[in-house]
Amino acid sequence: MKLITHNMLTSKCIKGVLTGFPLAINATDIKIKEVDFNSEFITRVIPKLDWEVLWCAANSIGHSDGLPKTIEPKFEEDEEFLKKAHHVLLEIEVEEGHLTCPESGRQFPISKGIPNMLLTEAEVQ
Amino acid sequence: MEENKKAERKRRRFAARLRSSKGVICTDVPSPNIVLCNAGQATGLEKEMIHSFISHNVSDLSMPKYIAEKGETYSYLVFESVAAASQFYNKCNGKLKIDENGTPLYMNYVENVPSTDIIINHPDPKGLLLINDFISEVEELEYLKLFDWIDDKGSSSLKNRQVKHYGFEFRYGSNDVDLNDPLEEKIPIQCDKLWSRLRAHGLDVGQPDQLTVNKYTPGQGIPSHVDKHSPFGSTILSISLGSSILMDWKHHSGKYVPVLVKRRSLLVMQDEARYDWQHGIQPRTWDPIIKTQTLENGRRIKLITNDTISRGTRISLTFRWTRSARCQCVYKTLCDSVENRSTDDLEDDLASNLEDLHVHQVYEKIAGHFSTTRHKPWPKVVEFMRNVPTGAVVLDLGCGNGKNILPTNDILQIAGERSIGLLSECKEHVAGISAADCVRLDLLHASLKDECADVVICIAVIHHFSSRARRLQSLSTIYRLLRPSGKALITVWAKDQTKANYLCKTKSQPTTNQVETVLGINLPVHENRTQFQHKDLLVPWKLRNVSEKRVVDEPKSTLLRYYHVFEEDELASLCREVNLCVEKSFYEEGNWCVVCTKA
Repeated sequence: MKLITHNMLTSKCIKGVLTGFPLAINATDIKIKEVDFNSEFITRVIPKLDWEVLWCAANSIGHSDGLPKTIEPKFEEDEEFLKKAHHVLLEIEVEEGHLTCPESGRQFPISKGIPNMLLTEAEVQ
Repeated sequence: MEENKKAERKRRRFAARLRSSKGVICTDVPSPNIVLCNAGQATGLEKEMIHSFISHNVSDLSMPKYIAEKGETYSYLVFESVAAASQFYNKCNGKLKIDENGTPLYMNYVENVPSTDIIINHPDPKGLLLINDFISEVEELEYLKLFDWIDDKGSSSLKNRQVKHYGFEFRYGSNDVDLNDPLEEKIPIQCDKLWSRLRAHGLDVGQPDQLTVNKYTPGQGIPSHVDKHSPFGSTILSISLGSSILMDWKHHSGKYVPVLVKRRSLLVMQDEARYDWQHGIQPRTWDPIIKTQTLENGRRIKLITNDTISRGTRISLTFRWTRSARCQCVYKTLCDSVENRSTDDLEDDLASNLEDLHVHQVYEKIAGHFSTTRHKPWPKVVEFMRNVPTGAVVLDLGCGNGKNILPTNDILQIAGERSIGLLSECKEHVAGISAADCVRLDLLHASLKDECADVVICIAVIHHFSSRARRLQSLSTIYRLLRPSGKALITVWAKDQTKANYLCKTKSQPTTNQVETVLGINLPVHENRTQFQHKDLLVPWKLRNVSEKRVVDEPKSTLLRYYHVFEEDELASLCREVNLCVEKSFYEEGNWCVVCTKA
């Protein structure tokens, strides 16, 4: 699971859960996989993300070094920042571990890089 | 002496381990219960091994009850007394070996053993009557002589048992008889005495005209079924010869009741038991022993115990009354005289069960094979995605093996799928794509943030939802996930396949419309590569083994996938119902496709 994906996941579907966001990450295995850098993609996708949640997520798994807590105006001109964002968003993969719903405590296992967000009929709204 | 000390040390170590990891409390005080510390279901220990072991090594000991929990490497023996348990313990602890090369068995006394009895709360089906000892032992022998056969002459072998017919031949394709083609051999006159005996039991049902004889050797069974309503009358009789058997009764409401059918008994099926319940026999060489208990309030319950009894060869005589009229029963769920049943208004839990059985479980089983048959992205997806701008967030919901995840690094592609088998294939497929990732999710309760997507694609997914409400719910999810002015491409199978390559020109329409019963819902089974005859149906998938990603052998089994096939404009109007603006609705290669936006 990449951190960009984590930015979109919620446990809101659970009965009684209001926002279910952000999910806490507990990682037992993290891999770094280098992928192609596309500055235009990163520039355009950043405004769609919840940056604070991304920073906290990266920080919680020990990968926030050098990542600013907030986005500067004109960040698109800062190549070094874009590369750092690229790395945190796309190259850090949580292979094993689990996500935890902030309200209900329900855990979602991550195995072989895939978070399992399935809920039982009894758990959903 | 040294040996004894070693055994004692081992025994204590096992006791400590059981206590800490399994919560099993061992005691040094002798009790009737013994835990075998290093042998159980997971190590392959079986009741028979224990019994033969005891009869060879500790004579005069009555057999203990054997309790083995699934997946555990220990098990329990319950003796009738402390003395019997002590006798076994003193003789066998640390000495007895299950097989010649094996390690000795270590055991400890325990205070409590787990109860593995399963309580059955439901009463027997209404209309089910069991008359024990309906025929005498002499008559049983007489009928066995009359009906049993040794070779296959005059009988035909089904997949899991042998059968023989009198009066009319039972046709297994259509599950009926041809009234215009009676057999020469009628029901033998030796059966005539049974009809007057029926009357003596207050059953004034006349005389049947069709008999099917089934021979089940241990290990054989019959899948759950209801005898088809329209070809046969309101009473069906079954006499058991040679061996008792446990018959499973299932109701579409989810009720399950095991019924012990004793040898020489008569089973009478009428009313609900005849029309609204399915019955079947598990293919195994043993049956669990059923105990009945009367509760304080006088209600009787059944317990499926952990104890088992071996089956012998059983011959069953099923007597039926043929008829040619439509069935007039009031139990519509399993009735074949109810026409064009649609699952549109299926209750949600039933729909969910149906999908679990005929969509989710099937995809898990066929994932590897399925994936080898689908490589390239669908051209319409490629065309649709061409206009998606850089930096867009794209969700592929029901992504399957990820064939529609494009090899591009200028958009974020999140692939969501319920089947872990397919998703693992997808994960491998997207490994080289910079901004693609996989999430296991359910489209009805997708665990993604509201309005997170610029684009959603949902290709060949929604036809797997079995009720209208669930199809709408899946589209509502797409609406919820799209940000305002976000766009979706949704496709489903079309009922009309005449303009697609799918049809095989040389294949004619199948004459018999086979009906498979699913959780009490009758659904037709589709003949592949022919025009769809129904809107809700089961489509066979012939499963083949896959090795090195290549199909290597002949089909080994056929699995049935549920589909709801769509009429023209059906998908588009569902989209409108959840407020999606339909931009385009078109037919492409046997699919109905919609491009829509969130206003």
